[in-house]
Amino acid sequence: MKINKMLIANRGEIAIRIMKTARRMKIRTVAVKTAVEPNAMYLSLADEVFDNTEEVSEIPVFLDIEKLISIALKTGANAVHPGYGFLAENAYFAQKCLDNEIIFIGPSPDAIYKMGNKTIARKLALKNGIPMAMGSNGNVPNEEEAVKIAEKIGYPVIIKAASGGGGRGMRIVRKSDEMDKMFIIASKEAEKAFNDPSVFIEKYIENPKHIEFQILGDTKGNVIHLGERECSIQRKHQKLLEESPSCALDSGLRKTMGKIAVQIAKAVNYFSAGTVEFLLDSEKNFYFMEMNTRIQVEHPVTEIVTGIDLIEQQIRIANGEELKIKQKDIKLKGWAIECRINAEDVQAGFAPDPGKIERLSMPSENYVRVDTGIQSGSSIVSSYDSMIAKLIVSGRDRKEAIKNCKLALDKVWIKGTKTTLPFFRLLVRNQKFQDGTFTTAFIEDLDKYYYNSEYEEMLAAWLATKLFVEENLQEHSTNASFENSVDMSPWLLNKRINQF
Amino acid sequence: MNDKLRIKKLYTLSSENRKFSFPLPLKNKIRIGKRDYIVQLKADEKYGMYILWKNRKYPVEIVRSRQNKYEILFNDISYIFTVETPFSMKRMKVLSTGKGKTEKESLKAPMPGKIIDILVREGSNVLRGEPLLILEAMKMQNEIQSPVNGQIIRVLAKPDSNVMKDDLLIEIKVE
Repeated sequence: MKINKMLIANRGEIAIRIMKTARRMKIRTVAVKTAVEPNAMYLSLADEVFDNTEEVSEIPVFLDIEKLISIALKTGANAVHPGYGFLAENAYFAQKCLDNEIIFIGPSPDAIYKMGNKTIARKLALKNGIPMAMGSNGNVPNEEEAVKIAEKIGYPVIIKAASGGGGRGMRIVRKSDEMDKMFIIASKEAEKAFNDPSVFIEKYIENPKHIEFQILGDTKGNVIHLGERECSIQRKHQKLLEESPSCALDSGLRKTMGKIAVQIAKAVNYFSAGTVEFLLDSEKNFYFMEMNTRIQVEHPVTEIVTGIDLIEQQIRIANGEELKIKQKDIKLKGWAIECRINAEDVQAGFAPDPGKIERLSMPSENYVRVDTGIQSGSSIVSSYDSMIAKLIVSGRDRKEAIKNCKLALDKVWIKGTKTTLPFFRLLVRNQKFQDGTFTTAFIEDLDKYYYNSEYEEMLAAWLATKLFVEENLQEHSTNASFENSVDMSPWLLNKRINQF
Repeated sequence: MNDKLRIKKLYTLSSENRKFSFPLPLKNKIRIGKRDYIVQLKADEKYGMYILWKNRKYPVEIVRSRQNKYEILFNDISYIFTVETPFSMKRMKVLSTGKGKTEKESLKAPMPGKIIDILVREGSNVLRGEPLLILEAMKMQNEIQSPVNGQIIRVLAKPDSNVMKDDLLIEIKVE
């Protein structure tokens, strides 16, 4: 059976990203319309839209396994692409697809399960001699046990959700008296997010770099890696900027780490696209962290430096095709940087700032790729993540990529919500970032100076305020255009303006 | 009229409490190096409202204004300005010295979301930076920490309830 029509069990930019490749491969796509986002951009790019707006349900449709299977069957889709997040790493969903003779575009349920359960993944890695941070042997039942283990391996330690990912259910503990509180928080968060409160403990590697390897495997047992991505710029374990390659790796280390990444994938007979995450310490020791059994948000940087369409490879592999690309064909060319432009308030510690995007305009230079599911008039709703767009910039080398990134960032035009743009503008000018010596502690070390504003800019902002007030006084004799200005009296305003 | 003539300077307090004074009359230009750049406010279909300055367009939006306080979003960064004349500046100083230190800290929801857990009770003593409750917003669980050292007087937030931005969550007696 070959894929001829696929249900996209996702929304936003990744739904659109998948549709683009599907269209090129002449595969029909089905998108799901939800009541939360009935006018979303991804719907307009699908060949078919399944209307689910009437459905009243506690859980979003993208997490509703039974519903998605029934939509696939009703619309005659013979494959499902889960994208990232939602059910992308749910072994039960993958199995349910297979049970209903629907191709799941991703790895086997067995591989998802083994890598998804971090305690099983740890045991597997241990068995295969993969370098890892010291940790608990399996799940930790309670706080008392946690303290005992932590004392044995030494503080600081990190509590992680066994079924975790994406930073949730993770807490760093530096002293034994913090353990009680952190253990409960991590466990509760894990239960809420993954329906599984079990957690385990690992030695916390201080200030490492987060390096991950892109893997491709087919159903014939061939596995290759497509080089690394550097994802150390993160906050609360949420990545903000990724690049490929990483300036921390030379070709020797790349080869060693890549080989180990392939070895881990082979241990679970992995096929489809996947990512093996490592921590790299200042002495260039690396430790296996986890494997993500899905397409990653940051996959575009790998696509740019390798020239390989990862979604296309996922589809071909799901069709049972053998990998045509060999390890020796993989050459990393140039440099790519991805900035995640989210609706977040950098001035309030990256707090989400949902709302309507009134205007959006992205740069269109040839060194820029933009992956987005948002257009002018779209809304960032609080039920989903806060992503507005991924700005992916390339250059011949890192220096040029950073230079292009600076230019591109100044051409992004977003109105309606606050965004992570001020942070990126600061980042690309930061010495540590330019040197490449930054670690996962980078944002924390900035200590609230997540943005930079020159005195002149503040002055310009002030002049803008004055001009605005003046203009509004000329146009309207009342204060009608000041939506929120309950207290503003035109008389007072006038008086103040006259003083200028 | 006389009043107006006497004012030679205008003071602006930014949100970071930086004080600027501008000589009057205020001109719409900013000097960088040896060049003056004119600041112009414009608007069109494609960009909405913007500032034209240094041959570049900057997005600008007035977020809110209240009496002599303005919040403006300029180049994706928000600024809060309070405009004072020398006279009102002096009056403010007098007022602030007469006023006692605030005893009570009201902790408000920094964003809309759902209360997942409350980690303190009325009467609990808390230290600055100590997590008080967990607020989930947009797939992230956020620890809301105590801004001060003190004692919890009231807990208004309830577990599993939804809160709006700026809803009062907890009151703390400052110590």
